[in-house]
Amino acid sequence: MTDTPNDGAPRRSLLTPRGWAVFLAFGFALVVVLPILNRVVVTGSFTHVPDYLIPLIGKYCTYAMLALAMDLIWGYAGILSLGQGAFFALGGYCMGMYLMRQIGDRGVYKNAQLPDFMVFLNWKELPWYWHGFDMFWFAAIMVVLVPGALALIVGWLTFRSRVTGVYLSIITQAMTFALLLAFFRNNMGFGGNNGLTDFKDILGFPIQAQSTRVGLLIASAIGLGATYLICRWIVNSKLGRVLLAVRDAESRVRFLGYSVTGAKLFVFVVAAMLSGIAGALYVPQVGIINPGEFSPAASIEIALWVAVGGRGTLAGAVIGAFLVNIAKTWLTGAAPEIWLFFLGLLFIVVTLLLPRGVVGLVADQRERWRARQAARQAQAAEAAT
Amino acid sequence: MSWLMARLRAVAVATAIALAAALAASPACAQQFDELIRKLASDDFGEKLDAAEKLGALGDGRAIPALKALSDGTLFLRKADGAALIADGARYFEAVGGKALGELPAGDVEKVRANNRLRGAISASLSKLSLFSDDRATRLAAAREAFKSPTPETAAALERALKSEKDPEILTAIRFSLNAAKVRAGSVEDRLKAIATMAGTADPQVKNLLTGVSNDKDAPPEVRKAAAEALVSIERTLAIVGVAENVFQGISLGSVLLLAAVGLAITFGVMGVINMAHGEMIMLGAYTAYTVQIVCRALLPKEFVGFYLVISVPIAFVVAGAVGILIERTVIRFLYGRPLDTMLATWGLSLILQQAVRSIFDAQNKEVANPAWMTGGFELIPGFFVAWNRLYIIVFCLMVLLAIVALLRRTSFGLHMRAVTQNRDMAAAMGIPTARIDALTFGLGSGLAGIAGVALSQVGNVSPNLGTIYIVDSFLVVVFGGVGNLLGTLVGALSLGIINKLLEPVAGAVLGKVAVLVFIILFIQRRPRGLFALKGRAADS
Amino acid sequence: MSAAQSENGRTTTPRRAETLLYLDGVSVSFDGFKALNELSLVIDRGELRTVIGPNGAGKTTMMDVITGKTRPDEGTVIYGADTDLTRLDESAIANLGIGRKFQKPTVFENLTVFENLELAARDSRGIFRTLLAKLSGTDLARIDETLATTGLVEHRHRQAGALSHGQKQWLEIGMLLIHEPQILLLDEPVAGMTDHETEQTAQLIRRLTGKHTLVVVEHDMQFVRDLGARVTVLHEGSVLAEGSIDHVQAHPRVIEVYLGR
Repeated sequence: MTDTPNDGAPRRSLLTPRGWAVFLAFGFALVVVLPILNRVVVTGSFTHVPDYLIPLIGKYCTYAMLALAMDLIWGYAGILSLGQGAFFALGGYCMGMYLMRQIGDRGVYKNAQLPDFMVFLNWKELPWYWHGFDMFWFAAIMVVLVPGALALIVGWLTFRSRVTGVYLSIITQAMTFALLLAFFRNNMGFGGNNGLTDFKDILGFPIQAQSTRVGLLIASAIGLGATYLICRWIVNSKLGRVLLAVRDAESRVRFLGYSVTGAKLFVFVVAAMLSGIAGALYVPQVGIINPGEFSPAASIEIALWVAVGGRGTLAGAVIGAFLVNIAKTWLTGAAPEIWLFFLGLLFIVVTLLLPRGVVGLVADQRERWRARQAARQAQAAEAAT
Repeated sequence: MSWLMARLRAVAVATAIALAAALAASPACAQQFDELIRKLASDDFGEKLDAAEKLGALGDGRAIPALKALSDGTLFLRKADGAALIADGARYFEAVGGKALGELPAGDVEKVRANNRLRGAISASLSKLSLFSDDRATRLAAAREAFKSPTPETAAALERALKSEKDPEILTAIRFSLNAAKVRAGSVEDRLKAIATMAGTADPQVKNLLTGVSNDKDAPPEVRKAAAEALVSIERTLAIVGVAENVFQGISLGSVLLLAAVGLAITFGVMGVINMAHGEMIMLGAYTAYTVQIVCRALLPKEFVGFYLVISVPIAFVVAGAVGILIERTVIRFLYGRPLDTMLATWGLSLILQQAVRSIFDAQNKEVANPAWMTGGFELIPGFFVAWNRLYIIVFCLMVLLAIVALLRRTSFGLHMRAVTQNRDMAAAMGIPTARIDALTFGLGSGLAGIAGVALSQVGNVSPNLGTIYIVDSFLVVVFGGVGNLLGTLVGALSLGIINKLLEPVAGAVLGKVAVLVFIILFIQRRPRGLFALKGRAADS
Repeated sequence: MSAAQSENGRTTTPRRAETLLYLDGVSVSFDGFKALNELSLVIDRGELRTVIGPNGAGKTTMMDVITGKTRPDEGTVIYGADTDLTRLDESAIANLGIGRKFQKPTVFENLTVFENLELAARDSRGIFRTLLAKLSGTDLARIDETLATTGLVEHRHRQAGALSHGQKQWLEIGMLLIHEPQILLLDEPVAGMTDHETEQTAQLIRRLTGKHTLVVVEHDMQFVRDLGARVTVLHEGSVLAEGSIDHVQAHPRVIEVYLGR
């Protein structure tokens, strides 16, 4: 689309006019058109959007946010973080804790103070880290703060000691794995194996109601748009060029006097926070958060979305997230045993044959088409003289 | 086959009875013995009970088969003369003398019944009699068993056994159990002496015994005090044994990790390739062992089935190695110099391999049985049990490591591989076929993973997810040990294994693992390139 | 600090007022291999110094020590009046005004020539500052000036990866210049260049002398002769000889170990 990070001239505007047009068109489609087609148009009508599609598209939007965060850290700064799934899950757990507290005494055990799983475990009082999550504003802050703080600590420790490349991937994967193991434990106080589920309402709206779901879709779409603009702003700034420079020649950046650790840390923390927000929007739409979200496989899959779309281009990350997840929804329904073969093959095909992803493929085609056009015009001009 | 087994068993029973007869005591006793055996087969439960108890007190090992038979329901009465017979399947033997009678018509014999009270008496007698059994293992077990029931009667039986016993190990066990009996009762002096001999042992049973004595309100205060003091020293010894046991477990886990990581260390060290499908190579090796097991069970005579594990090792190496070479030639060689892309592509491969195995074998856990020579274990010192399979894996792991070192140091392939590791361009310029070395190196790394899979099939179940369990750990071993250094991998694997096992009792398995991960993240602060890192210019590339 | 060392009986190179860079008794070893062995070197303000030596003499390691990439096992590295470089990291040292060109040209291949220079320009290096940074008129003027100095004006908007080898070397020097360094460390600036490019580079370096202090590590003896500067010969991690090119070329030990004539 409008993503050509290295077009030469210094870029100072956030988006080109055409970029804004596309951006607003997609925004309008998600925030206005889809809700109307679902809520206003009569069921059975050709243009009616069925109910099940609303949370599904909302889920895709949160995945696209996650992909943007991944692209920021991987596509631009060249750091293949395999911890994005963990940050996503942490954000999701923070939201899940809020939703659990909202259940109140409507749980199976009718305990106003404790979530069902704590009653089941014979716990007598709420663990200290659950306090405050009955307030939405507190949970909302934690959604950003918890992943951000973890990223700050892990990032500071690893970037400072110059852990790069595959080493960093392995360390972040180990971090994700450690969290997976920890959250599987019942006595961690996050529902163990089953995670957090059976939510009743969010901000007073019943979570199962279609109107709430439409609201969540709109929130996710706005979140996606905001994430896109934030990422755009960062990659357009001079810092964005420092990040690209770090990706290309890290030691040169250092010898130019920039703090490579600082730049990486900044983008790592921002990416973690964005992932956390994505997770928080994801949980109320799928209705559950469990330790499975921490699996290293989930984190690597995020990298695939970005690679399929085209790393280093923000639009590519969004496109990739939608494409792969639509394929996943379709294939896991139609032929579940094929899905892993397909996914595995996709990893190989994209890295071997499509290193610049779908966006790169389209750009190449357009380039070729333009070259042909130019040649034809030149021929025509020649013939005319 | 079964007829052979039955015949063998029959011979064994006959020999046991005959041998027991050979050990017979004086003629007077012999008469009493014959009488008691006869009574054992009587109709009256009171008589049977009396006979069982008396046989125990008699201390004649010949009574064991008959008592066992009564307890197991295989003791019969010959209606003609009231003699006791022991049945083995359809064959009968005389309980006294062990004469084989062959098959008898069902109407000639009558089963002797036992009840629970009788069985209790039999088991008490048997435990005393076992001290005089002709079978060394039985005597040893009985001597140790006697420890649990430190009654004056047991003490008397033990005293008697002490006189006739020759075997030093059994003598030690008898003295030990005798001491236990003495600790419980007797003169204060004797009890104190017995307690003194027990201090410093590492047997949890001794600990329980002494705890009982020190809490026993009826015991004299000085005895209780001595027992409490002895307990302190026992607790200390137990703690040391506990640590030793954990270290052994750690070395065992470490060698498993080493097997899993060594192939990874080679591919990463030589080629700079992170192979995320390495875990699946392990899984393939494990499934190869499973398949070989099935084939062996079908084709080989029973005595040789236990060798399937030995056969699996080379086959697993070849299977995983071949898949590795295939992967290198079709995917990885196009991605050299793009390590992150290699990670992603090999991750894709791992998904495909997992799903393929799931489609072929189904997703259930498969069991690769331990062959007989790998089951069980031995008690190195009391409280410290060494399992054979763990020990064999440690030994096997060392052998594999030595083989790799020999391969790297002594063969031209190894020389070429080291040359490529140090300077790829120069090696190529000197005419070393780097592409072929790459393929073979990758094959070697994958083949080693296959071998690791065979070993892992012996300590756990085999499932399509087997690889994912070990892959994160293997990566950590390589990062921790330092890339391109086998010594680093060895030290890394062993220390991670030991740290893991030492933390487990303190923090629990999961938190222990989390602690190890945190430890490694902190460790790389000090040494970002691992324990044994290359320094200088080579480290920059 | 140096006084204490001289009391210990170590020979200490004297420091003069005009000294800009001062290395004394610097040793670095990698796994038992001594890359630098009690190296002592003094660079004066405004001086052009060439450093030669056979492979493994410690030339690159010396640069690594000065720029903070490698920490010396022992020894003193003082910049200016009293800045101890062994305590600082690369970016802090770069911000003090010590610029370094690598042996292999390292420019940001996916950025344009302009953007390469923009990043190198002397601005705040703070992360949040860079996030909000705007290009000022003086920045633009400085970039234009540097493009002119390095002869890259017409390549302004080309991707750095598309430049020729020589052009990349010049861009890298330009990136150092725009940062207005006190001292420039050039590691083999003409390696892999054509004769014509080498000549142009020699001209560029001569233009820079006086404005900047320059330390040039080189293998190409003709190039060193062209520069006509004071020469330091390194061997096995310490200084073997120092003086004019004619002086060192006549030095018997230098002939033995390096020139081989």
